[in-house]
Amino acid sequence: MAPTKKTKKSTDNINNKLQLVMKSGKYTLGYKTVLKTLRNSKGKLIILANNCPPLRKSEIEYYAMLGKISVHHFHGNNVDLGTACGKYYRVCCLSIIDPGDSDIINTTPAQ
Amino acid sequence: MVKFLKPGKAVILLQGRFAGRKAVIVRVFEEGTRDRPYGHCLVAGLAKYPKKVIRKDSAKKTAKKSRVKCFLKLVNFTHLMPTRYTLDVDLKEVASGPDALATRDKKVAACKTAKERLEERFKTGKNRWFFTKLRF
Repeated sequence: MAPTKKTKKSTDNINNKLQLVMKSGKYTLGYKTVLKTLRNSKGKLIILANNCPPLRKSEIEYYAMLGKISVHHFHGNNVDLGTACGKYYRVCCLSIIDPGDSDIINTTPAQ
Repeated sequence: MVKFLKPGKAVILLQGRFAGRKAVIVRVFEEGTRDRPYGHCLVAGLAKYPKKVIRKDSAKKTAKKSRVKCFLKLVNFTHLMPTRYTLDVDLKEVASGPDALATRDKKVAACKTAKERLEERFKTGKNRWFFTKLRF
């Protein structure tokens, strides 16, 4: 376990919440669509993998700063984030448009 | 959750002939039009930045150095990089109608008014970031 992880419990929480969003909410995966949702302010939360290229990371963070949208840095790389979303491909960034039944928006404001 | 691609926002063009140039959003077509079925906006930007004016320049030289060359362009949102800066220049006549860029002479006339507005804004010394060239 990397020392930067807070506790095992809270990382599991993110994964569980993500699972719920995938099931019941609206989301988009991938850099291009994330920028789209940032531009038209539909995105409510952006999640970035930890091996996201730094230029892309700063760009998404800048857009989110302009649109006052929170960004969450996932404790895992794009492979882990893809698995957390229940997909069989890598996901570097994803945008949650409508959380559905999940409360991920309210409980993850950490930048 | 705040829309930031609004008229008055300073942006940097990323693609095309004017890549790397700073521009200000004049008019936003959020849902696109029939010819351009994607989100785009009309921007007015600086094709040629004003040169650096120093104190010992004569009045004639200052006038010559403060000239800008302006461009008007309809740009897709994906080809813009928004910035945190805004430029509240009154460019309402430029964005007169949806056909402000329809014919060549309308475009030239609109460009001339945009050029005047941008030049007088430069001469006041405000928005200095906008009128400096982006080095890359």
